[in-house]
Amino acid sequence: MNKIVGRALWAAVSVVAALAIAQIAGERGEPVNSMWVVLAAVCTFLIGFRFYAKFIAAKVMLLDDRRATPAERLRNGHDFEPTNKWILFGHHFAAIAGPGPLVGPTLAAQFGYLPGTLWILVGCVLGGAVQDFIILFCSMRRNGKSLGQMAREEIGRVGGFTALVTVLLIMIILLAVVALVVVNALKGSPWGTFTIAATMPIAVFMGLYLRYLRPGKVLEVSAIGFVLVLASIFGGEWVAHHAVLGPMFTLSGVALAVSVIIYGFAASALPVWLLLAPRDYLSTFVKLGVVLLLGAGILFVRPELQLPAVTRFVDGSGPIFAGKIFPFCFITIACGAISGFHSLISSGTTPKMIARESHAWPVGYGSMLLEGFVAIMAIISAAALQPGIFFAVNSPAGIVGATPEAATATITAWGFPVTPQQMAQLADQVGESSLFYRTGGAPSLALGMAHIFAEGMRGAGRAILGFWYHFAIMFEALFILTVIDAGTRVGRFMLQDLLGQIHAPLGRTSWMPGVIGSSAAIVLAWGYFLYQGVIDPLGGINTLWPLFGIANQLLATIALCVATTVLIKMHRARYLWITCVPMTWLVVACYSAAWQKIFSDVPRIGFLARANQLQGLIDSGKVTGAKVAETQTMIFNERLDAAVCALFLVLVTTILVDSIRLWAGILKGSRPAAVTETPFVLTQLRPEEI
Amino acid sequence: MNTLWLHLRNAGRLAWGLLRELGDENAYARHLEVHGRTHSGAEWRRFSEERLRAKYARAKCC
Repeated sequence: MNKIVGRALWAAVSVVAALAIAQIAGERGEPVNSMWVVLAAVCTFLIGFRFYAKFIAAKVMLLDDRRATPAERLRNGHDFEPTNKWILFGHHFAAIAGPGPLVGPTLAAQFGYLPGTLWILVGCVLGGAVQDFIILFCSMRRNGKSLGQMAREEIGRVGGFTALVTVLLIMIILLAVVALVVVNALKGSPWGTFTIAATMPIAVFMGLYLRYLRPGKVLEVSAIGFVLVLASIFGGEWVAHHAVLGPMFTLSGVALAVSVIIYGFAASALPVWLLLAPRDYLSTFVKLGVVLLLGAGILFVRPELQLPAVTRFVDGSGPIFAGKIFPFCFITIACGAISGFHSLISSGTTPKMIARESHAWPVGYGSMLLEGFVAIMAIISAAALQPGIFFAVNSPAGIVGATPEAATATITAWGFPVTPQQMAQLADQVGESSLFYRTGGAPSLALGMAHIFAEGMRGAGRAILGFWYHFAIMFEALFILTVIDAGTRVGRFMLQDLLGQIHAPLGRTSWMPGVIGSSAAIVLAWGYFLYQGVIDPLGGINTLWPLFGIANQLLATIALCVATTVLIKMHRARYLWITCVPMTWLVVACYSAAWQKIFSDVPRIGFLARANQLQGLIDSGKVTGAKVAETQTMIFNERLDAAVCALFLVLVTTILVDSIRLWAGILKGSRPAAVTETPFVLTQLRPEEI
Repeated sequence: MNTLWLHLRNAGRLAWGLLRELGDENAYARHLEVHGRTHSGAEWRRFSEERLRAKYARAKCC
């Protein structure tokens, strides 16, 4: 009887999923309620979790709860500790959820809400969650080894070294692009700049409090820190209107970029307990709180999607970034659909905390589905904005025109009506001087979130919109800065690891000249790309986000390569399609995008075409005086981006070729299928211990 | 009513456990238990330095 009820229930979930997708996909020229998107996502994810993930767990991985996990065998009370699966679920989710699933879908909304939504649903269920789940499984069966270690052991030394270099390069691009998002959000915004600046002394206070006043009281100090951050948001409004302080905190893009670069260096070289760790604690709690709040806000307000299902920009002429829907939609939304970076988390802390093998199912697969849902919420927030406003905020001056009148005329001519008065009124409501040309996705996402939150508090007046806008900006900037300081530090360790092979002292993380030199090298590397983005007349995002998307998806290709190798060695070759289908898709999408970014004839897409166009301007004498040197720098930057993109392709091709040779050898029987799993040990863990 | 209260209490415990895990407070309690030590400022600093060194040697996700 229960079986029949269960089947009927799942059939109903499938029907609701199909109906909801049909509802959001059917273009009828009228706004669609966001609840259809929520229903489509929830039902699709439930089906993926219940059937596809269970199939992978039972038939492919053969998860076995009788087998002791590393958490039990190597239990040390620190890294290795059997943990309740729902606590680990939250822990893993907090680790994988960064700015990516919020910013990427917002940028991709230029194609309309439908392409991004469908890619998140399909990509998450068949790609991203599968990658996270299988890498978590592989690491769990190998004492919690990292992706790099597994690549070296499963594929070979070339694969391992290439994976390390690839991760380092991706990290540099990642840090530059997320820093650019913050810079563009805070440019000319004294309220936002003050709020974010205030988080630094607050973090230092928290660090000192935790170390000397009330050691060990992390939750207590985080609560105090949160109250202080809220106070700084209110203080920011006062500062913005102050005759002296207001101009002091009104910074240009370049000034903000320099500040972020200095901050990154300081945070990387300072003791972690002083700045990095307290900010990270605060950022993690705020992140989880805001995700829950946004989910509740969307369910309560049920906003209508104002953006069309598909916009005219699928043809590649989009103002936010150039390029057709294929492949650019699929590399713009990486986190939220499939993100290579997750494989680093799935082979980091999480495999060392899993109590039972079957817990990898909700933790690895389930957490990614939740991240996919965060990406869906970001699309809803962006699509709930009036389209004219969405494009006015996200389009660079180089595309829409340098004055409010020119920008609104261009956007209105595209079929998305907006007026300078509307923009001025909105800017006034959120306490900003202007909302034009704020590329990067963060401000439009903050606007969408602010509208949802403010709508949920009807009658609170316009002041509440300004508070929520700056609350959302603070939330985004807070954890982006955490990514920057932690990422710079990790990049430093990676560089020292590589340099240590040339000169041993350079590899010592306690040798001060090595620490300062490698920190400076990493900061200058991402700082250069950040500066390049800030001075780019096309807004920087057009160049850097696709580069980051390509890099991140190529890292996912490496992770799926490792997963495929493990499956072949486990004699599960008949199930290779599980990893090979998403891997093939990624190869096609990333290589196609990278090829276009390097060689396209369209200057807004192709790096080399843009360099040639700029060179042509110099040769024809259209650029003169001081502008010549600036243009030459831009030409160099375009060629550098082309070289970085090509390098990514070479590195990943090396791993792919190396892997394919290995797979062919094993499948033909000419190479041994040596399984490197730890031997089976019967678990002694009692249920009450978890 | 009792069942609902039990569910709510379990959910609350889970949420509190998650917050303590994210804040490293659970890890610190385990550290004290495993090493048979008692809480003090110096002990927290020793634990925290070791914990944070390992934590920030790994990449944070985007």
